[in-house]
Amino acid sequence: MAALLLRHAGRHCLCSHLSPQLCIRNAVPLGTTAKEEMERFWNKNTSSNRPVSPHFTIYRWSLPMVMSICHRGTGVALSGGVSLLGVSALLLPGNFESYLEVVKSLCLGPTLIYSAKFTLAFPLMYHTWNGIRHLMWDLGKGLKTAQLYQSGVAVLVLSVLSSAGLAAM
Amino acid sequence: MATLLRLSVLCGAQGSRGLFLRTPVVKPAPVPALLQDRLSPGWCGVQHLHLSPRRLSGSKAASLHWTSERVVSVLLLGLLPAAYLNPCSAVDYSLAAALTLHGHWGLGQVVTDYIHGAAPQKAAKAGLLALSALTFAGLCYFNYHDVGICRAVAMLWKL
Repeated sequence: MAALLLRHAGRHCLCSHLSPQLCIRNAVPLGTTAKEEMERFWNKNTSSNRPVSPHFTIYRWSLPMVMSICHRGTGVALSGGVSLLGVSALLLPGNFESYLEVVKSLCLGPTLIYSAKFTLAFPLMYHTWNGIRHLMWDLGKGLKTAQLYQSGVAVLVLSVLSSAGLAAM
Repeated sequence: MATLLRLSVLCGAQGSRGLFLRTPVVKPAPVPALLQDRLSPGWCGVQHLHLSPRRLSGSKAASLHWTSERVVSVLLLGLLPAAYLNPCSAVDYSLAAALTLHGHWGLGQVVTDYIHGAAPQKAAKAGLLALSALTFAGLCYFNYHDVGICRAVAMLWKL
C-alpha cells in the first residue's frame, strides 16, 4: 500500500517537473482539428463500404428513447409550421383574415374543429413540457432512471391534458 | 441564484457538438521508458487524469452557444403565457425573434447529427440560414402589415 502511494507521488512529481505547462497526463496535441479528424473518418468509412452494425432496428425501444425522438420530431414539425407561416406571409396574396374567411365558409362541424385544434396544440404542448424536462436535466436534476420514467409519464399526461384544455377554448 | 451558478458550472464543463469541431485534438502520448514498468500487467493503480488548464483551452464559443440556447429556450417559455395574458406588438416581435432563433439552433443540431462531411454540412447550414432568415423576415412582415402573431392565433382559435 505504501509502495503504491509512493509510486503515485513519484509519477505525479515527475510528470509535473517534466512538463509544468501541460497538466494533461500522457497527452500531446495533434496537428489536426476535430473537424478534420471527423472528415477523415467519414471519408474512409463511406468509401470502404464496410457493413454497419444494426442499432435502433434491433435495440429494445424504451420510453425515454421514444420520447427523445418525438421531442426532435415535434421540434422539426413546429419549425416547419412557423417557417410555413412566415414564408406564406411573404408570398401569398391577401391578408390573414381572408384565408380565415375561406376556412369559415367550409362550415366544418364542431368535432372536426376540436380535433383540428387538438392536432395543432398537441405537438406544441408535448415539445414545451418535454422541453422543461430537458431544462431540468441541464440543471442536473432528475437524471436517475426511475425519475426519467416518472417525469416522462408526467410529460405525456400533461401534454394530453393541456392540449385537450387548449382545444376546448 | 444558486441554480444560475450551477448552470454556469455545467456550461463551463460542456460544449455544443457543432462548435466543438474546430478545437484542436489531443491524443495520448507514448509513455516514457522510465515509467514503462509502472504500466506492466498486474499494475492496478489509479490513473489520474487532470483536466487541461483554462489557458490551454480553445475558444469558449461552444460553451457560450450552449448557454445561449438554454437562455432562449427559457425566454420562449416565458413568452407563451405573456402572449396569452398580454398580447401586444412587443410580444409579437419577441415571439418572432425567439421562435426563429430557437428553431434555427434546434435544426442546426439536427443537421450536425445527420449530415456528415464538410461540403454537405456547409451546404445544409447555408440552406438552413436562408430558411431562418426568410422565416424571420416573413414573421416581421406579418407583424407589421397584418394582424400579428398573437391576434392571428386568437382569431384562428375563435373559428
